Amino acid sequence: MTTCETIQPRLTAYLDGDLDGERGSVVRGHLRECAACRQVARDEAALRDALRLAPPVDPPVSMWAGVQSKLAAAEVADARQPRWRRQVARWARWAPWPPTMPQYAAGAALAAAAVVMLYWRTQRVDELAPGPVAVAPIRTAPPHPIRTEAEQPAAVAPAADDVTADLLAEPARTTGSYRQVIEELMKLASDARTAWGDEQKVVFDAKLAVLRNGIDHAIQGRAQQRAQRALIRYLQLAVIRDDVMLAGGGAR
Amino acid sequence: MEMLYHQYKRRVFGMAHRIVGQSDAEEVAQEVFVRVFRGLAAFRGDSALSTWIYRLTVNAALSHLARRGRRQEVGDDGLTELPAPPVTERDSALASRIETALALLPPGYRAILVLHDVEGLSHEECAAILECRIGTCKSQLHKARARMRELLGPNIAAQAIHTTGSSE
Repeated sequence: MTTCETIQPRLTAYLDGDLDGERGSVVRGHLRECAACRQVARDEAALRDALRLAPPVDPPVSMWAGVQSKLAAAEVADARQPRWRRQVARWARWAPWPPTMPQYAAGAALAAAAVVMLYWRTQRVDELAPGPVAVAPIRTAPPHPIRTEAEQPAAVAPAADDVTADLLAEPARTTGSYRQVIEELMKLASDARTAWGDEQKVVFDAKLAVLRNGIDHAIQGRAQQRAQRALIRYLQLAVIRDDVMLAGGGAR
Repeated sequence: MEMLYHQYKRRVFGMAHRIVGQSDAEEVAQEVFVRVFRGLAAFRGDSALSTWIYRLTVNAALSHLARRGRRQEVGDDGLTELPAPPVTERDSALASRIETALALLPPGYRAILVLHDVEGLSHEECAAILECRIGTCKSQLHKARARMRELLGPNIAAQAIHTTGSSE
C-alpha cells in the first residue's frame, strides 16, 4: 500500500527520470489517484524547470585583471617562502590530505612491517647474547696443537651512521663474535685437557673434528652460525663440567 | 591560460554568485582561477577538467562562506525556523523569488541545486564534485527542492504559468 509519505520522497527521482519499471509505475499510479501529491509533483517540476532556465550571470570585465594580479602576488609570495616550505607544499600536492583508503592501507602495512622488523631484531639480539662462558676470565693456555679460529678474518664494523651497511654487516659480526667465544673456550679446553684420560681425549678430538667440519662446510650466514653454536655448546659442557664423555652427547 | 579562463568564467562566476552571493562572487571566482592556474601542472586527470574546476569552485565558495561567518550559515536544524517569504500578487517574477529563496538555503543545499538544476550536471558529476556518494547527492537534492518549495510557498506551478503567460 503506497501512501503520500512513501511516495513524496521518491518524487525528485521520478521527475528526474531516475525511477524506471515498476518503481516508476508505482509512483505514477499514486499520482493518478492523489491530488495532493500531484500538486507537489507539479510544484517540484516547475521549480526544477525554473532553476534550469535561470539566466546565466556574466562576470564583471575587471575579473580577469584581478586574477592576473592575484597570480602575480602568489608568485611573489612563493619566491619569498623558504625552500623547505616549498618542498612541503610540493609534497602536499603529491599526497593530498586527508589520505585515501589505499594510502591508509599502505601506511598501515609499513607500520606493521616496522613492528615486525623491530620484534625480529629484538628476538635476534636475545638469541645472540653470549652465554656465561663468554665472560669467563681467560686463562693463559699452553701451546697446543688444536687449531684456533684467530687466523680467520674478523668482521668489519660498519659506519655507525650507515644503517643499511650496519644491517648488511650483522651476520658477519655475529659470526665473528661466535668465533671469539669459540677461541676462548678452546683455550680453556686446552687447560682442561691436561687432566683428561686418553679415552676422553680421543672422544673430544673426534667430536671436535666433526663439529669443525660442520662449520667449515656450512653456508656462510645462519647455517654457519648454527654450526658454531653447536660447537660452543659442546665446549661449554666439556670445559665447565669437565666431562668429555657426557659432553659427547651434548653436542647435538 | 586566458582561453581556459574565457571557457569557464561564466560557469565559475555563476556558481560562485549563486552560492556566496553577488558581493563576494568575483573574489571567489578569482580565487578559483588562481588555484586552477597554479594547480594545473599538478592536475592528475583523475576526473574531467571541468569536474575539477567545479569542485574547486564549490570548495572555494563553501570555504568562503565558512570564513565569512558561521552566523550567516543556516544548518539543517535551523531550516524550520526560516519563515517562508510571503507570496504576493505583485511579486510575480518567479525567477527573482527563486534567487532570493536560493540565498536563504544552507550552503550545502545551495551547492547541489546550483550544480544539478541550474548547471544541469548529472548526479554522477555532482557526486564527483561534492566528493560524496550518488545516493547522498540524490537525497540532498530532494531535501533542497523540498526546502525551496516551502520557501516559495504553494502553487509554484501556477506562478510559473502566470509568469510565463505575463512575459509573453
